[in-house]
Amino acid sequence: MRRLSVRRVAALLVVLALLATGCGTGRRTGPIQLTFWSWVPGIDKSVNLWNRTHPGVQVHLDQVTAGIDGGYAKMFSGVRAGSGPDLAQVEYWAIPAFMLEHGLVDLNRYGVRKYQDRFVPWQWHQGEFNGGVYAVPQASGPMALYYRADLFKKYGLQPPKTWADYAKAAAVIKQKDPTARIGTFPPANSQWFIALAWQAGAHWFGATDKWSVNIDDPATRKVAAYWDDLRRRDLISTMQDVQTGWYKAVHDGKIVSWVGPQWGDALLKGNAPNTAGKWRVAPMPQWDPEHETAANWGGSSTAVLRGSDHPTEAMEFAVWLNTDRHSINDLIEGGYGWPAAANVFKGSALDRPDPFFGGQRYNDVFADADRHIDTRWRWIPTTMSLIDTLNSGFTGAVTGNGSFAGTLGTAQSAAVRDMRRKGLQVVTPPER
Amino acid sequence: MRSRRTPWLFLAPFAVLFLAFFVVPIGYAIWQSFIGVRRTGALGLGGSQTTFAGLRNYADALAQTAFVPSVLRILLFGVVVVPVMIIAATALALLLDAASARWPRFFRTAYFLPYGIPGVLASIIWTFLYLPGMSPILEVFGWFGIQAEPLAGDGVLWAIANITIWEFAGYNMLVVVAQLQAVPAELYDAARVDGANAWHMVWRIKFPLIRPAVVLTTVFTIIGTIQLFSEPIVLKRSAPAITNDYTPNISAYNQAFLYNNYGLAAAEAVLLALVAFVLSFGFLRLVGRGGRAGGAR
Amino acid sequence: MNRTGPGWRILVTAILAIVAVYFLVPVYWLIIASTKTTDELLGTSPLWFTGDPHLWSNLSQVFSYNGHIYLRWVGNTILYSGVGALAATLLAAAAGYAMAKFEFRGREAVFNIVLGGVLVPATVLALPLYLMFSSAGLADTYWSVLLPSVVSPFGVYLCRIYCEASVPDDLLEAARVDGAGELRIFFTVVLRIISPALVTVFLFQLIGIWNNYFLPLVMLSDPNLYPLPLGLMSWMSITDRVPVLYQLTVGGSLVSVVPLAIAIVVLQRFWRTGLTAGSVKA
Repeated sequence: MRRLSVRRVAALLVVLALLATGCGTGRRTGPIQLTFWSWVPGIDKSVNLWNRTHPGVQVHLDQVTAGIDGGYAKMFSGVRAGSGPDLAQVEYWAIPAFMLEHGLVDLNRYGVRKYQDRFVPWQWHQGEFNGGVYAVPQASGPMALYYRADLFKKYGLQPPKTWADYAKAAAVIKQKDPTARIGTFPPANSQWFIALAWQAGAHWFGATDKWSVNIDDPATRKVAAYWDDLRRRDLISTMQDVQTGWYKAVHDGKIVSWVGPQWGDALLKGNAPNTAGKWRVAPMPQWDPEHETAANWGGSSTAVLRGSDHPTEAMEFAVWLNTDRHSINDLIEGGYGWPAAANVFKGSALDRPDPFFGGQRYNDVFADADRHIDTRWRWIPTTMSLIDTLNSGFTGAVTGNGSFAGTLGTAQSAAVRDMRRKGLQVVTPPER
Repeated sequence: MRSRRTPWLFLAPFAVLFLAFFVVPIGYAIWQSFIGVRRTGALGLGGSQTTFAGLRNYADALAQTAFVPSVLRILLFGVVVVPVMIIAATALALLLDAASARWPRFFRTAYFLPYGIPGVLASIIWTFLYLPGMSPILEVFGWFGIQAEPLAGDGVLWAIANITIWEFAGYNMLVVVAQLQAVPAELYDAARVDGANAWHMVWRIKFPLIRPAVVLTTVFTIIGTIQLFSEPIVLKRSAPAITNDYTPNISAYNQAFLYNNYGLAAAEAVLLALVAFVLSFGFLRLVGRGGRAGGAR
Repeated sequence: MNRTGPGWRILVTAILAIVAVYFLVPVYWLIIASTKTTDELLGTSPLWFTGDPHLWSNLSQVFSYNGHIYLRWVGNTILYSGVGALAATLLAAAAGYAMAKFEFRGREAVFNIVLGGVLVPATVLALPLYLMFSSAGLADTYWSVLLPSVVSPFGVYLCRIYCEASVPDDLLEAARVDGAGELRIFFTVVLRIISPALVTVFLFQLIGIWNNYFLPLVMLSDPNLYPLPLGLMSWMSITDRVPVLYQLTVGGSLVSVVPLAIAIVVLQRFWRTGLTAGSVKA
């Protein structure tokens, strides 16, 4: 023990200090490692491309469950525990929830503004709060009508141009094949319904200096009443969409069309491959044929989560992922949605005919839809809870308790309550 | 010589961990249930502070959320599943114990098998078995003209009940069987000498003697059904009726991890624990603690 | 009524057989389904095999997918359940022994508190445990699942009962007179006598841990740390974006079920002897 002289101890301490400062001053012993959580199919191709071309910054991708199915729970846990990823897939509607938990890094501090003009403005604004920029937009989800051209031909139908036409077509299909339906109203997927309300001109939320919530407005009530009517007349199925049972029905030709998002193409291709070549895409039905409006389902961003040790590099990756031409083509192959990067449609993988859709240049329809989206839409921090409230209400309606229209009032009071429970101030429309 | 510290030394490892992972979390949960949050800044995004919320979280849980319906749902579930499970387990045990049963070992093993399959795995398998077109059971039903859709609508609660019974009936049966086999044969002989017939054997001898086992399994089944979580979570994607507050545990989990309402989640967890306590103690009181395994009679 | 006549025999056996079909149909389906690809799962009849079974290729894909993560999950499950149950048994035995064979102040109070622990739902604990572990920076580690699993109040209860009933005081006294230390007595004398109870506690805790989905779900975000049920669920939840996972989830389930089934068949015996020990020793 006595051999541990002061000199030795001092030398040891000096070595340790050097090592410590070595870590601090950026003398790295290897490339920077970033973790990225996402559920976009095929995103690994883009990540691999980045890793090949950027040896100094390596990104490790974890394919997680979709946000609403548990992915966001994991992200919130991770941020709270300090063990979360550097980057994550955060849909536009979830960004305010993350903001409330101070879960996102303000990229303005790392110079993200210089990239602003590379992106579609309304999608960029989804990540802006109080002068900061908290997410790099990735893609949106313009909607259109996917329909089985072969079955429509068999039943003597044209793709419906208005919602009135859609209802008529629904009746024809049911009459010609009692086991088939024109489509389904998914009771536990209220994001789809929200998109339709968005198309009809509803503005549920505002985020100026205070939050505002107005769900039970005339436009939304019109949409809810419409689907209530179709449900009561048994003209639509009420099974949940985008799950095994629905894919089976699609596989068997019992679901004949789908008002779905652009990123639904990958889902159809992957889960109902036997229907290849039989689908076409048409613009979604309109309320007013003179004023075309489109719906948007989803849309997500790449965000840098609080606790990341390398926010600058993470930001650079996020921007590259969503603007680089090669990356975008890879993402398109995987079916990630409608690019948030401006002016990339021409010449991209979207800009070509597709055999799954019988050779149709189907993305032209989505491009047109994208131009008609009402871009003033905002989200509130308690959207997740609202989605669940609507799901409960719609599921109840489908099993005989209540109606879609009746759910809206419940959702409005629940949403206001959720916001106040979080300590937030909410402005609501004056009572009728 | 034995010192006074000896028992504590043996007790210590368990006690420390018990304190850390049982007592402290319960205390933490109770503390958390009295916490609220206050926000500052535009849109409330400036800063947040924790505040004392009194009983507001409890009032919230009881009045404003779907928590109470979820508790009622789980009670309904329990009221049906517990008796069915116990009756099935007892009936199977008695059948196996009957002199006329052939190949008792094979049957016992077959019934016990599902117990070794974790709940999540069982639910994954049954999810497929509930999907029309993928399920051999539904296919066979179809031959008889029965079009069943177990996952559609509110009937899914009984689809979950089926999974629970499938998983645990065999285990509960084994507990009863074990108790039955411990009955000394002389008891039966004596009864037969006294003129008892087969029915008397069952009612007067077997039933009373398996009582402790039945009570034990009932208490555990009650506790288990209160905590229902994995089975509905697995079925959730294919069964729209399973909402994010379908059972109390799912509700508490979502409040904490999806909506980040920690105080409310803690209040729900505490309320759930109280319900479990009341039910378990209530039941034990009801059967007069005569079922305490190992208790002297 | 003649309860052992051939008529009764047939009836009883028939009932038992029908019940057996109910319990075994899922396993039957699992075996058939594991030989099919995703397309065949959705397309062909679930009652029988297709003409072209792909069992081996399916299984090899299960193991190799995503860098052999399935094997990691198996290892993790063995760690959490096996090591966890082992540690829990030892701790419970020590505590049960202490409360059975020693008189000390507060003994009954401690026992009642522990008994209360049996009634606390595991899920009530998981949420605050998560918050505690994450403030200590230990969330999303092996410890976060292992440590809470090592506490078995029911095990303490069983061991106490068994010790009181089966460990004779004079044997302990004799050993002490011979000069054996307390620890030695515990490990060589007591544990051997109460070994049936130990097996019961071990199996009970083993099943409890691997059935506990809530705790790892709440604690873990890194897929490399997942136990099997959590891992298979993570596959199942992304099947519509990665359709090959339909067949891999089914195949993966088969691989887990088979060893569990074998273990159950073998261990069934221990349940019989172990469980009664507590209840009959009166």
